[in-house]
Amino acid sequence: MNNIHIFNHTAMATQFQVRLAGEEKDYAAQAAQAAFALTDELESKLSRFRANSEISEIAQLTAGGMLRLTEPVFACLELAKRMEAATAGAFSVCAAALQTQAARPAWSLENFSVRCDGGKLEFDLGAIGKGFALDRMAAVLREWSCPAFLLVAGGSSILAGEAPDKTAGWSCGLGDDNAPQRYWLKNCSLSGSGLAIKGKHILDPRTGKPAARQNRAWALCDTAGESDALSTACMVLAEAEIHRILAVEKSWLVFLEENENARPLGGRALPVRV
Amino acid sequence: MVTQPITRRDFLGATAAAGAGLLLTSCSPDSGRPAAPVKSANSKLNIALIGCGAQGQVLLDSLTVIDGLNLVAIVDIWDYNRNSNVRRLKSQGLDVKGYENYEELLANEKDLQAVVVATPDFWHAPITVACLKAGLHVYCEKMMSNTIDGARAMVQAMRETGKLLQIGHQRRSNPRYVFALNKLVREAQICGRITAAQAQWNRTVTPDLGAPKHSELPPEKLAKYGFKDMHQFRNWRWFKGLGGGPLSDLGAHQIDIFNWWFGTTAKSVMASGGNDYYKGHEWYDNAMVVYEFDTPEGTARAFYQVQTTTSAGGGYFEMFMGDEGTIKMSEKPSICALYREDRSTKSWEELVGKNYLRASATAPVADADKVDVRETAPLLQYDIPVSFNKKIHQPHLENFFDSVRGKAKLNCPADEAFRSEYIIHKANEAIAAQKMIPITKEEVEA
Repeated sequence: MNNIHIFNHTAMATQFQVRLAGEEKDYAAQAAQAAFALTDELESKLSRFRANSEISEIAQLTAGGMLRLTEPVFACLELAKRMEAATAGAFSVCAAALQTQAARPAWSLENFSVRCDGGKLEFDLGAIGKGFALDRMAAVLREWSCPAFLLVAGGSSILAGEAPDKTAGWSCGLGDDNAPQRYWLKNCSLSGSGLAIKGKHILDPRTGKPAARQNRAWALCDTAGESDALSTACMVLAEAEIHRILAVEKSWLVFLEENENARPLGGRALPVRV
Repeated sequence: MVTQPITRRDFLGATAAAGAGLLLTSCSPDSGRPAAPVKSANSKLNIALIGCGAQGQVLLDSLTVIDGLNLVAIVDIWDYNRNSNVRRLKSQGLDVKGYENYEELLANEKDLQAVVVATPDFWHAPITVACLKAGLHVYCEKMMSNTIDGARAMVQAMRETGKLLQIGHQRRSNPRYVFALNKLVREAQICGRITAAQAQWNRTVTPDLGAPKHSELPPEKLAKYGFKDMHQFRNWRWFKGLGGGPLSDLGAHQIDIFNWWFGTTAKSVMASGGNDYYKGHEWYDNAMVVYEFDTPEGTARAFYQVQTTTSAGGGYFEMFMGDEGTIKMSEKPSICALYREDRSTKSWEELVGKNYLRASATAPVADADKVDVRETAPLLQYDIPVSFNKKIHQPHLENFFDSVRGKAKLNCPADEAFRSEYIIHKANEAIAAQKMIPITKEEVEA
């Protein structure tokens, strides 16, 4: 068995985990600490529950108002914009805002700033922030020359780096503990969304109402920010809509739960089965 | 927006007239220094950041979003930190240069107006003094210095050069703290006579910091800048001669609040602490300190504790306890709380009406000859009606830059900060001496 060190950290109201293979333990601990420190920093900027976060500051903007953002917040919102466009609005950081506002607030990004174009920008990054954090943590670990990693955010998003020595990847299952469907993953991310834990908590940004087109969906992408957002979007997308999205986004793969199995959709090659 | 230097009396008048909920980023204590002129009150200020470690990063977050600043350069002896920050800032459209040390900065950048210093503590005094003497205004992180002499030299340089020197006790510009002190404690006197204070910062165990492979500084460079090795460089806060340990890293902010809110400086300190948990550290990893203050109403004692082995005890806060009420402050609004003693005769409902307090529900009308009976009413909760969404260091930095432009006075000039600096150093001294140390009014003046 590979020499794998596991480190845990609570942030963003969930448990983050760093697994590092092939590193000396003390060095691995320091690298994980640096990655976790970044997670805390991101939470302080991205959390809507922190009064001094940039997301709270953005929520104070009125129509026409602009706010200059720090680099990670701008990058995260850029990604959110891109995912909203790619999923035809099925993913939106404004989904929760529809509970308090009649229409989805409008916003744009320019010159490292966010502009409020209408409504109140009550952003909720709950369906992209953790994935975004994993991508940034991965960058830290690569800087620390720790390429063989597996990062986990609350069990719903993982980001695999290089495979542990003499393996084809990190063994990942779809679904419950020790799920029968398993794949070797490396240099990609897998996220899952479903109704099992939080019930019908996923709102369709297009209607503002809870939507459950799927019981469970998984998304496999190159980055965790993408897979986190896409798996959420898939919960409210009809299968035909998902096909249309995947016809454009060739690097994405989606699994939908069907008869307790995960049925793949999309043109991306399936990862190697365990 | 504040357009003229204001005194505290002006500030109180302004807030009283405008009502509560007002967000002010500037409030000048009476001891504020006159602001120094710049080319134009509205021109962009050319600034540099010296020190890009953890605290430097926090300050950078504000420096990159405050209007009217032109971040010209950043300085760090660690090329790993320096280069990654230059890259990141360039990706944000900021054309920033990187320098290894402040001497290179001063030699090459002749059009600076101000610098922000966030290096390890033992570099604060030499860098700050050199920058002041080079004609720059300086914002320097706390602690001012790892020695009292270093801090005193900074104050003297500020006086000699006439330049501004703000110390990074950012709570002094936090609108919630300013409002709570001026409106609730001083004007409304909700605490009555304050007889005691308590503050703490308890943190969970944190492993020592490391560095990525291939990023380590060569021994000769570490030696040049005063570090024994890379471990000491990364963990300088724990080493004597470099920093002041948790009492200065964490306690400095809160012990400064004692001085600020009591409006005077402690007259004695006794303390206990030790290096009892971590291996390879020099400074105390835990401390419990008791200060005595002479207030106009009588003696008040303030207890401070810092723990670096447990986060228990409610996080970090400062609490002022009086015979009529208590106010608990924290940079985290969720930790803040207000308590009223049963014996208090002050009408908090009236303060709600004046927007000095916010209540969780409408208070029943107090009509002495009538009563209505219904379900048990929930106990009313009160909080401070000032919200504050900016980054927590941003108002203090804005106050500094506004002062450079002549639009405000410093909220924490170095001579004011020195009094807090002094009694923090004395707490570490009291632990070592294992006895109470008296502090005179004369010795806390730089």
